[in-house]
This record gives sequence, structure tokens and C-alpha cells, in this order.
Amino acid sequence: MLKSIFKTLAPFLQSGLQLGVAFSLIGSVEAREVSIREMIASATVAKTPAEQRQIILSLKSNPSPEVVKWFDRWKSGEIFLHEDSSGVITPVVLTGAAAGDDSFATVRVSDGSPLLAVDSSAVRINPKEVEFAETDSGLRRAMREVADLAALADPDLSKRIRAIQDSAIGQKSEKLPELQLLLTTEKHPKAVRALEESIAIIQLRSPLAGERVAACERLGKLNSLAAQDTIRTILKEAEAAKDLPTAHAAKTALSAIEGHISRINAAGTVFRGISLGSVLLVVAIGLAITFGLMGIINMAHGELIALGAYTTYVIQNIFAAGLNLSPFGISISIPGMNLPAGSMGMYFVVALPASFLAAALVGLLLERAVIQFLYRRPLESLLATWGISLVLQQLLRLVFGANNVQVSSPSWLSGNWTVNDVVFGWNRVFVIGFAALIIVVTWLVLNKTSLGLLIRAVMQNRNMAACMGVRTERVNMMTFAFGCGLAGLAGAFLSQIGNVGPSLGQNYIVDAFMTVVVGGVGNILGTVISALGIGMADQSLQQYLGNPVIGKILVLGTIILFLQWRPAGIFVTRSRSLD
Amino acid sequence: MPSQPFTGRVQLPVLILAAVFLVVVMPALNAFGIIENFTLNLWGKYLCYSIMAISIDLLWGYTGLLCLGQALFFTLGGYMMGMHLMLMIGKLGQYKSELPDFMVFLGHTEIPAFWQPFYSFPFALAMVFLVPGLLSYVFGYLAFRSRIKGVYFSILTQALTYGMALLFFKNDLLMGGNNGFTDFRTLLGADLRTASTQRILYICTAVLMVAVVAGCKWLTNSRFGLIQRAIRDSENRVLFSGYATANFKLFIFVTSAMIAAFAGALYVPQVGIINPSEMTTEKSLEAVVWVALGGRGTLVGPVVGAISVNALKSWATRAYPDLWVLILGGTFVLIVMFMPKGIVGLPSQIQEIIAKIRRRSLQADPVQPAISSETADP
Repeated sequence: MLKSIFKTLAPFLQSGLQLGVAFSLIGSVEAREVSIREMIASATVAKTPAEQRQIILSLKSNPSPEVVKWFDRWKSGEIFLHEDSSGVITPVVLTGAAAGDDSFATVRVSDGSPLLAVDSSAVRINPKEVEFAETDSGLRRAMREVADLAALADPDLSKRIRAIQDSAIGQKSEKLPELQLLLTTEKHPKAVRALEESIAIIQLRSPLAGERVAACERLGKLNSLAAQDTIRTILKEAEAAKDLPTAHAAKTALSAIEGHISRINAAGTVFRGISLGSVLLVVAIGLAITFGLMGIINMAHGELIALGAYTTYVIQNIFAAGLNLSPFGISISIPGMNLPAGSMGMYFVVALPASFLAAALVGLLLERAVIQFLYRRPLESLLATWGISLVLQQLLRLVFGANNVQVSSPSWLSGNWTVNDVVFGWNRVFVIGFAALIIVVTWLVLNKTSLGLLIRAVMQNRNMAACMGVRTERVNMMTFAFGCGLAGLAGAFLSQIGNVGPSLGQNYIVDAFMTVVVGGVGNILGTVISALGIGMADQSLQQYLGNPVIGKILVLGTIILFLQWRPAGIFVTRSRSLD
Repeated sequence: MPSQPFTGRVQLPVLILAAVFLVVVMPALNAFGIIENFTLNLWGKYLCYSIMAISIDLLWGYTGLLCLGQALFFTLGGYMMGMHLMLMIGKLGQYKSELPDFMVFLGHTEIPAFWQPFYSFPFALAMVFLVPGLLSYVFGYLAFRSRIKGVYFSILTQALTYGMALLFFKNDLLMGGNNGFTDFRTLLGADLRTASTQRILYICTAVLMVAVVAGCKWLTNSRFGLIQRAIRDSENRVLFSGYATANFKLFIFVTSAMIAAFAGALYVPQVGIINPSEMTTEKSLEAVVWVALGGRGTLVGPVVGAISVNALKSWATRAYPDLWVLILGGTFVLIVMFMPKGIVGLPSQIQEIIAKIRRRSLQADPVQPAISSETADP
């Protein structure tokens, strides 16, 4: 059945192609518009299906999105065939709203003018009473061919490239002339590459051995990922048929492509490793301040991260429709500003300082209420802050509910950027940029501000600093609040790349501690290096073992072994004191 | 010594009385139907927790090592016992297969080789000690050799626990994944679901607890215990006096891991379930809370702490499910800040405060104030 249809179509396909080659592809837009409409109109009223197909296929000469639009209208039964009293059939489309008797005004398909009756009055038709132009499978097939061609010439680059790539599927040699013709006119390098790739893939099935070998070579040179499976099939067939030159060329091409894939994977792993390292870095930098510089084991660090994330959530809702919370049975309703969707993206700019301040404020309270009494008892500060972390976590759960809340990330974060087949997700690029920013800010605060100077002085020698008139208590307070604020920033940041829930920080806290311990206490650079190192190790082990959990466990084991070698971390703060 | 009123000889009769009550009186009352089976079972659980708390205290209170992985050793011991119990279910499981249900569910057709020896109870019992013992030995060796101490030790044990919990959550490990082991039937031929078996298990736990308290009492009063406390107070001095502190610490670390593991092995048949959520760092920290609340550096303290916190928990989780965590966390902060010696140390702390107030009122009278003793206090 299908075969017979194909046979009847074959000559039209040929003629269509010739037309396509014969006619110029470029014409004035207006002229094309009219001619398309006219051809569609004539096709709908053509007497035989064969004639209809011929007209449709002749549209291959100027395939445009307009044509495809008309095809779609036709296929969905929007073109009606109005027959007037003298038996003349006019294809029309409906326009305007329905009148009381369910009738619509009409315009001609051919030129878009209103259809007038003999008495110059506008013709209105009821869609239920008038026949619409039908399509059969042969016609739809012809339409699809034209549509494919239109897609190949689509003005939108990504759509065009996808169409070009799709055209190679099935390796039909009929498509070759179209593609080769396009290759002469195509300007964009990406589209040109896609065209060359598709042409070569189709040529793999060429009856000429020389062309097959050349195609293999070209695909190998292009590092074509799409062609990998096809070349493998060709290789098998060539080996079976003792076609040595093709087999050899296919093998060379395959090894080139495989080499390319392993390079892509390596680059992807490095990139993912850096981005994971950046996440660790952002989470750990606050700890590097509180633990590394002050020696306070802040087990509530994770909850301060969660607090930052929830602050982002609240700010987002204030920018939108507001928020209703009911902690302890008290209902609190935060009014929203109902900003339009366009300025919603701005909420994050407000959320960043807000989450920093919220976490820093809680940190300040913690320091004043609890931690200032425990500076000389680090193990006990660990336990007390764990108690605080339980309380904070439960408070978050009571206020915001136990389930994850929805924080929408700006739409631009979901895109990606592909360079030489390596995909760089925008969210990961954002992660890296954000981490770099935070490090720079932290470095500036510690090294270029007077607060930073005081912080370093107190951390190096508390008693001496006190003797020189530094108010060490105040510096402690500010340092702790700064470290906690950084945790809040980390929360705002994590809300953009993952779920926000009361136990958000718990997932990161162990890794964050490891990062600081490996980096060496009291050293920001050490934290950076260890975060990136742990991130890379994690990702490459994951890639290599194909198992995230085993990879993670191995990383933890490696850290323990690493500390055998350097018990005080990468960078050791040298000191003559014992303990 | 006035600062440690509960460790003196005067208290011995009280301790013996409490031991007799726990070991003999409670089960007897249960046998006569005065104490409900549920209550006795609950107390069995508390006593298992108490043993774990003692093991933490041995490390933290006496040696100054805060281990955040004690729940890991406890759970590992429980898992070893659980493996034996799972095999003892035999064909009584859901799928009527020789294999434990979760293996059938995962599509296994025969019992993996490392499960085979667990048919034997003595082997399982040996593993209860050996597996956590070996793990703690390797970890402790590495940690103490490179002189990791203080908070670093805590953080590393936390990481170890975290990593192991991740591992046990995986189905591929063939240890039941996140559902763990449950639905146990028999232990040494006795039906675990009868009251009499549970009573025997309770007695075993109580006896073990008394034995552990007595053993630790002996250990901490020996010369070994003296060095142990010296390490806690100033490790470098001990080291410079020629003691290999790493070996002492390693011994105490492995011992306490084994004690915790044995408690875990008794816990599993009484509670009837074991899963990886028991081995998280939160559970370890919770156990540390018991010790801190009861009073570290004493042997009665952990028991008092474990029983009181868990009794409070049993009540509060039912009465105030939402606020329970707030109560626990809040209590913990307050204890760390205001009661460093815990419940057991409360009387002596009150005595000290009273003494201080008296001293102050005495100092207020003379014209020349002697403040030097006060400013020295950090």
C-alpha cells in the first residue's frame, strides 16, 4: 500500500526537485505571499488528488514558514470550500466572531480579500454547513516534504539546524540535492557544519566506494557525534562485504570521534567539578570564617544557609502575590507588590543582601546569647550550636512547613552554551561566577577594610590585640555575624539551583566541614583550593565509577588519608605554640 | 572529694540498689503483670541507649574525644545481629523464601556468600564485636597516628558516619537499603514476639549495663584510667612524659565502639527494626546530649541522661510532636551553657554557687576588696 503510494509520488518528487532547483529561492516577500496563497487556493480546488499533490510539491520552489502555516490550516480543516449559485467553488477562511446564527465572515484564501456575493454583500457561512477542504495521506505526505524543506530554510537558526540534522535520518539519497543546494547559500558556520555533517552521513550509503570513504573521512574530521552509530553500522557492513577501504576509513573516523567524545567528557567533568567545587566553596566560605578564623564549630551553619534560602523565598513572594504563614497557629500575612513578571527577575538582586542581613542578624544574636561564653570550649560550642541548629530547623519547619517551597529561578539560568559539543549550563556558569564574586568580596573585606585588619589581628593573637586596644569582643561579634551572613548568601544561591526545605543545609554541612578542614584552618586560599579539589575529585570519580554514592564515600576516604599526609590541611598556619 | 559527690564510696549502696531494681525487680514485676510488657520493652530500649551513652562518656568524658560516630558503631552491631535474625526468619517471610524478603524483592535467587556464615549465632555474635571493632581500629589508627584531635576528630567521625550511612542506604550493599531489616521471628529458637523472650532480653540488657558500668568503673579507677584522664586534661604533657597517647586513645576508641556495638546488638531484637536512619550523625549527637545532660566524666551520668531524655522524648513526641525538637535543642543549649556537669553534677554545682555567694558576702565586709581570685576566671 505504502509502496504504491510512493511509486505514484515518485515522478512528482522528481519534478518538485527540478522546480526547486530551477526557480530562484529568493523573491520579494510580498510576491511570495500572494503566490503562496494563490497556489494553496488552487490546490484546494484542484480536480484530482494527483493534481493537488503536484501543486503542493511545486511549492518546494519557495519553501517558507508561511507555506507551512497554510498547510496546517488546511490540515486542521480551517479552509472552507464555498460554492456559489453558479457552481464556482471558492476556498475561504473564516474571520471575525460568530454571529447569532453561528455564521462567520469569510476571506478568500487566494488574496485575503473578503468574499462577496453577486450583490456585493459579504458572504457569511456557517462552518457546520459548509464543506471544508480535506486532505488524504498522499497529500499530507507531499505537504510534509514541503514543510521539511521549509524547515531547512527556516530563518531561525536553531530550528534550521535541527531540520538539517533531522534530514540525515534514514540516509535517503533523495535529500542530497536539496542539502547540497543549501550548502551553497548557507552563511552561518554552525548551519554549514550541520549541512556538511548531514550530507556526509547520507553519503555513507552511497553506491560509490570513493564517496563512502570520503564521507567517513569528513565525518571523522568533523568529530560528528550524530554519525557515530551510523558509521558503526557501516563498519560492520563493510567488514561483512570485505569492503576494505570503507572499513578502514570508518575505523579511522570512529577512533577520531571517540577521541573527541572522551575529550568532551573530560572537559564536561572538569566543568562540573569546578561548578560543584564552587557550590562547596560558597557553602564553606562562611565556615572558613567562623571555624577557620575563630575556631567556633558552628553546627547551625546549615540552618543559616536554609534561613538565607527562605529569605529569598519570602522576598520572591513579596515581589509577587504575597505570602501567608501560620506558625504556632498565628496567621501572618505578608502583602505582595504584585509586580509584573518582567521585573520579577529583579527580586534576586534584593534577595541577596536581604538573605545576607537576615543570617548575619541571627548570627549576631547567637554570638551574643550563646557563643561568646564558649570561645574557650570548642567542643562545647559544637554541642550548643547543634542544639541551636535543631531549634532553628524546627522553627523553619513550623513557619514555612515541612515540605520544600518553590523558589523560581530567572529563566536565563535554564539555558546553556555549547562550545565544540561541550555543554555549559548557564546555572553552572552562574554558580562559578557567584563563587568567584563571594571570594573576591570576602578577600576584600578581610584584606582591605579596617574590620578585616582587626579580624586578622584578633585571630593571630587575641591577647596582644586586646592590649593594643582592639575591642576583641566586638570584633568576635562582627566576625561571627559576617561568617553567618555568608551562609545566608550561600542559601540565596542554593535556592537558585536546588530545592528549598528546612533540611537544606544538612545536605551540605558535612562537605563544608571537610572543605575547611582540608583547606587548612584560617586560610581562604586553602578553602578555595580544597573546595575545587574536592569538587573535581567527586565529579571525576562519579564519571569514572558511574556511581555518585561510592564516589562520595571514596572522596571521604581520600580526605582521611590526605589528612595523614597533611594533618593541618593544605596550608598550615605556622606557630610556635603547642595547641 | 567534694566536687564529685556521686563517685564516692557512700553512693555504692544506692548504685547496687538501682542495679538490683533494674535487673531483678522490674522483670519480676513484669512477670506478675504489674509492669506492662510495653513499658518493660521501652526500658529495655532505654538501657541499650544507656550503654551507648556510657561508651560515649568513656571517650568524651574520660578521654576528651568527642566521637560523632557512636551511633554508627551501635547500628553496625545491630546490623550484624539483624543479619542473623533475618536468616532465622527462614520461609516465614512475605515471599515464603529462604532468602530475606528484600533480597527476593531485589531479584536475588540465592543468599550472597557474605551472608552465609550468619546462620551461625556465635559467628554473628563475633561479628557484632569484630566489624565495628575493626572499623574503629582502622579509623582510629589513621586519626590518632596523625594526631588529629579535638574538633577535627569530631568532624572526621561525623564524616565517617555520614559516608557509612550513605553506603547503607544503597540497595546494592545487600543490607536492606533504606528499609533495613525488620519482621524478625526467632532468636536461638525463642519466639521474639512473646513476652517471656522479651523479658529475657531485657534482663540480658540490664545485666550487661551493670557489667559495663562496673567494668568501666574498674577501668577508669585503674592506672589506665589515670592516663586516660591525663590525656583528656593535657595530652601533650602525657606525650612528653613518654606515654604513647595514640595507643591509649586507640584502645579506648575500639573498646567503646565494641560496647556500643553490643548495645546495638541487644537493641535490634527488642525494637524489631534496624535501618540506616539510626546511624546518622544526628543520632550520634543526640546520644552525646544524653551524656551531657546526665553528666560527663561520671558513669552514672550517661545512664541517668539516656533514660531521662528518652523518657522525656517518649512523652513529648506524643504530647507536643511539633515542639519536641525545640525542647530538646533548647534544653541542650541551656545545659551546655549553664550545667557543664549535667544532672549528676547539679548538687555540687549548687554547692559551689552557694559557697561563692558566701565568699562574696564575706568579701563585701572588709574594706580592702580582694578581687584577684575573681578576675582570673575566664
